[in-house]
Amino acid sequence: MSLRNALALAIVLTIASSGACAQGATQESATVPASERFAACLACHGEGGVSRLPLTPSLAGQPSFYAITQLFLFREGRRQNEAMTAVAKGMSDADLRAFSELIAKLPPPPAAPASDAARSARGAAIAQRFRCASCHGADYAGGQQVARLAGQREDYLNKALAEFRAGTRVGYTSAMSEALAGIEPGELGDLAHYLANFGKTATAR
Amino acid sequence: MFKRVPLMRCVLAGAAVLGAGAVFAADPPKTEEVPFWAVGKPKADAGAKLAPVPSFPIATPADQLPVKKLQVPPGFKVEVWASNILDARGMRQGDKGTVFVSSLFVAGKIYAVTDSGGKREVKTIADKLFLPNGIEYVKGSLYVATPKDITRYDDIENKLDNPGKPVMVYDKLPGEVPHGWKFIKLGPDGKLYVPTGAPCNICEIKDGYAQIARMNLDGSGMEVVARGVRNTVGFDFDPKNGDLWFTNNGRDWLSEDLPNDTLNRVGSPGKDHFGYPFCHQGNFADPEFGWGKKCSDYAQPAMLLGPHAGSLGMRFYTGKMFPAKYQGAMFVARHGSWNRTTKFGGDVIAVWTDGKGGVAKSEPFLSGFVENNEYLGRPVDVLVLKDGSLLVSDDHAGAIYRISYGQ
Repeated sequence: MSLRNALALAIVLTIASSGACAQGATQESATVPASERFAACLACHGEGGVSRLPLTPSLAGQPSFYAITQLFLFREGRRQNEAMTAVAKGMSDADLRAFSELIAKLPPPPAAPASDAARSARGAAIAQRFRCASCHGADYAGGQQVARLAGQREDYLNKALAEFRAGTRVGYTSAMSEALAGIEPGELGDLAHYLANFGKTATAR
Repeated sequence: MFKRVPLMRCVLAGAAVLGAGAVFAADPPKTEEVPFWAVGKPKADAGAKLAPVPSFPIATPADQLPVKKLQVPPGFKVEVWASNILDARGMRQGDKGTVFVSSLFVAGKIYAVTDSGGKREVKTIADKLFLPNGIEYVKGSLYVATPKDITRYDDIENKLDNPGKPVMVYDKLPGEVPHGWKFIKLGPDGKLYVPTGAPCNICEIKDGYAQIARMNLDGSGMEVVARGVRNTVGFDFDPKNGDLWFTNNGRDWLSEDLPNDTLNRVGSPGKDHFGYPFCHQGNFADPEFGWGKKCSDYAQPAMLLGPHAGSLGMRFYTGKMFPAKYQGAMFVARHGSWNRTTKFGGDVIAVWTDGKGGVAKSEPFLSGFVENNEYLGRPVDVLVLKDGSLLVSDDHAGAIYRISYGQ
């Protein structure tokens, strides 16, 4: 872990354990507009919704329907994450709508700064085998209730894929677990690498 | 132009799905890797973006419901009857007037709506259920059908605050998600009618799927009533003669305009086959499964309900409030299309039989749910209340509308 990542992890753990995110996002919801409370979300999810924290997803470019669905699942206790459960618990329906719309307005994240061509090629073959694009789109930008994958943090994608594969993360149904049926644990990393770097042009640095 | 590459990859992937089984017999079948609803999806841009969409996870607040945009025939009035019922789907009324409301993926709940002096109260009476779309009220008991079982809550109207554990009635349903959720209804023969849809968009059918069956109320004596039914989520019995009429959802991805959903009458219970997966809408042989089949060999639909319309709940009108012409007519809720670039349906229509097993005509009844090719609401089920008014559930907005006449 790099020094920057270690610092970032320390910050997120502090925030999560103190509940500062939760309080920031939900307190005084009657008086403080959601657009101002949104800053508390970005304290963890990064400036412009591009995350610099390990295992914390970028929100930038996620469709609003996907974002509100995840907030709903956290609030209802149907998706598990200690920090997000605490954050979402106090959110009103209006908060869910407002935050998801703010998320959808953030421009998509740039592709990761470096990629390993061999890993990406293997990841691309895996993505083809499991037909990821048939739901997430040929550009992996997602849409409606389906998540954007292109440019997402690699470590988060890896974690999410592992949870889906294990059946510990479900949406409304176990569609993602079924979609990943037959994938080998050793393949998740290359798939995550490919998707995190997807859309990177030859000249990008 | 980096987008070209994945698009081509997508084309190749699709070709592999269609061709693998036939051309390279040694290859394992790969279709199960595509989500069931996406088999047959085109690769062109507009089609490639289509997908089924779940209900919105937040109910629309009462004051933001689009009731002023809804249209009904002259003399009728439409109003919000209840709001904040997330994912509101099927509806049944108990003897004491309680309206039970089911839900699907998003909520997984059963609600009870009680009405005291014009003020409605919504209670959640069951939670964390597996796609509990099918409900029926019979002699004090509420039957709840999931894709895998049917349970019963006895004396339910007296136990809304504490329904207790339900009694297991039948636990041998297949339990698969695709088209596994139910619409159930009591027939005039005292039996409970229970459909099981095709576990796919289009596929070969094993026994126990793509059918409507019936059973005794204790779960015994299950027998098939109609076969070749892709997915019915709405049926009722003609009050004049007891005939079973049902809506059926046509297959996806053939084209924008074909095939139609259908409205059907079961003329020969236990014998009728309605064509799936070989023939659609009575006259259109499936491009993959229809070879060598004659559509005229199958039971013919009574009416075409439009392409990808999502025809769901239907009920014969038996109330006294509406004008005489609606007596014995059917109301059919069309949820609205997902598998079409221009939305179709998203309304309630009235349909009249010709008295000879067919349909004489249909008319719009409730419309206005589609604006700029987006849904403001999506009708799921219709229910004739004891006072003769008609309720319409809307899972998109989590609301129930009431349509009344002349007051």
